[in-house]
Amino acid sequence: MRILIVEDEAELARQLQETLRGAGFVVDAAADGEEGLYYGNEYDYDAAIIDLGLPKLGGIELIRRLREGDRRFPVLILTARDHWQDKVEGLEAGADDYLTKPFRMEELQARLNALVRRAAGYASPVIASGPLALDTARKELRLNQEAVELTAYEYRVLEYLMLNPGRVVSKTELTDHLYEQDFERDSNVIEVFVGRLRKKLDPFNPIRTVRGQGYRFTAEGGV
Amino acid sequence: MKSGIQSRLLLTTTLVLGFSLTLAGLVLERSFRMSTLSGAEEQLRLVIYSLMGAVETAGAAVQVPEPLPEPRLGQAESGLYAWISDSRNRVRWRSPSAVTGDVPAPDAQPLQPGEFRFADASTGGDGLLRLAYAVIWEDPEATVLTFHVAADWMPFRAAIVSFRRNLFVGLGAVTLLLVLAQVLAVRWALRPLRTMAHEVREMEEGRRRALSTAYPSELRGLAENLDRFVAHEERSRSRYRKAMEDLAHSLKTPLAVIRNALDRVPAEPRTLLEEQLDRMQSTVTHQLSRASVTGPVIVGRLIDVGAQVQRLLRALQIAYRQRCIEVEVDLPEPCQVRGDERDVMEILGNLLENAFKYTRSRVRVSGEIDGTLTVRVEDDGPGIPEAVRQAVLRRGTRADEAQPGQGIGLAVVAELVGLYHGRLRIAESDLGGACLELELPLTSVGALS
Repeated sequence: MRILIVEDEAELARQLQETLRGAGFVVDAAADGEEGLYYGNEYDYDAAIIDLGLPKLGGIELIRRLREGDRRFPVLILTARDHWQDKVEGLEAGADDYLTKPFRMEELQARLNALVRRAAGYASPVIASGPLALDTARKELRLNQEAVELTAYEYRVLEYLMLNPGRVVSKTELTDHLYEQDFERDSNVIEVFVGRLRKKLDPFNPIRTVRGQGYRFTAEGGV
Repeated sequence: MKSGIQSRLLLTTTLVLGFSLTLAGLVLERSFRMSTLSGAEEQLRLVIYSLMGAVETAGAAVQVPEPLPEPRLGQAESGLYAWISDSRNRVRWRSPSAVTGDVPAPDAQPLQPGEFRFADASTGGDGLLRLAYAVIWEDPEATVLTFHVAADWMPFRAAIVSFRRNLFVGLGAVTLLLVLAQVLAVRWALRPLRTMAHEVREMEEGRRRALSTAYPSELRGLAENLDRFVAHEERSRSRYRKAMEDLAHSLKTPLAVIRNALDRVPAEPRTLLEEQLDRMQSTVTHQLSRASVTGPVIVGRLIDVGAQVQRLLRALQIAYRQRCIEVEVDLPEPCQVRGDERDVMEILGNLLENAFKYTRSRVRVSGEIDGTLTVRVEDDGPGIPEAVRQAVLRRGTRADEAQPGQGIGLAVVAELVGLYHGRLRIAESDLGGACLELELPLTSVGALS
């Protein structure tokens, strides 16, 4: 999951990055609205956290421009002012949820998870697919009610694929959503994670290889 | 309700006019009566003089030969009578008018020679005006003769009555005319004030930014001051709001940073620090929410509450999309109050968010206008137990601290509603949850409207 943070307060931005990275997200941080717009247009994100009081380009205007550019990832507004005028304008501009400062990190994570799931069409934190049940809140996987131990990266690969079921996801897209931008990109690593996942899910096999294009998650999971 | 300037002016002038014209009428009537009386006395005196000129005495006999100096003395019951009596008060001669029928007798009071006595019997008595004159007759016995004349008061009275009638009709007409002119003058003089009231109302409703300049010199200063005052209020309101927002930003962001940094602090001081931080945070949030609400405005706008509710509901439906909340709205049309748009939005936003936060699946917004605007926000959540309702509306209490989000809480909403002289009540909804009933006066500027 790749998240964009647009927050001008350096310390808060740093804390957000730290927390979200700790929770297994890939995080980009922008310190003002223009930088945020650049990131938002340049990369494909799974969600964005945007502070409303931003220098150069205000948060509401940033959201409006992102939506005009057909960027559809969910947006969580952060606001210190706690005015309905701001919240309503933000939501009308295209944001999906709001959080008032100061907030608890757990609260922010819960909202963010809900937004990502919602964008993928899941209401509950547990994504079920055949015998698989992925609890995105606890970061746990169950196969036929049995817990399956996953490493952080294995979990992220599976979560991303399950949030995009039926769609072909390229290795590059997976890399983008799983790693920081300065990470050395090596698509072989993705192949290794997928291979390990398949072994752990065996005999259920929901991850198909589409030759030359990438992977596709299917609910049937047949052989 | 104090009476208006117009009615005050009219009442005063009508009273003064009525009083002075009545007084004038009385004075005129009285002097007319006096002059009528003295005219009558003069006539009687002339009759006496002419009688004195015509009378003939021969011994004890007193004669007035025909033709009588005054023809009416010869006609029976003509209303003019004459007698001549001697010093022993015996009537020596009476005019033919005083001979037949039911005629009065002369006044029997003795008189000193050369003395006139006038008796006004117009009110009471026999209804006669009498004049008597005693004279020492130039005959050998030097008899004292007293000449009496009496005239019927009725013809004089008729003249007075007719005069009085004319007088009062005339004065009445004058009064009426003056009052009418006064009404027109007052209306004309007060027209700029009415224009001003109209323009102020337009400003309240947001259809006008300032008063027009076409006022008479007496009002121009007031109009200009009012304009300046309104502009000043608007400026200071937005300056204040901006300051509050900056303050909120500069307090809350550090609070967020500190809170997050606490995660790395060992458990022992952390609990204490978190506790203190919670207190700071709730105080800051509470006070800033209160302070950012400016309260009733001088020049408010008509705020479309219905449209604001719809706008807030659309926004909340986005934020609470995954909950699939069914919303039902039943508000009167039009549904408007006068006030500050942002304040009303704060009140409604917090009530609606509260419902969305606690509901299971349904939210209902209904209301009516009946002197005041009532808006009810209901949900099918757990409701608010009777025992804690008062506490929920009091400062710094929240029924359920565990609920997510840092909404400013119903206590602050109740306070804001209080600023607008409205009321917030908690009841039970037939949906099963809480029913928050908001009551707002339709106008926040009662004094000016």
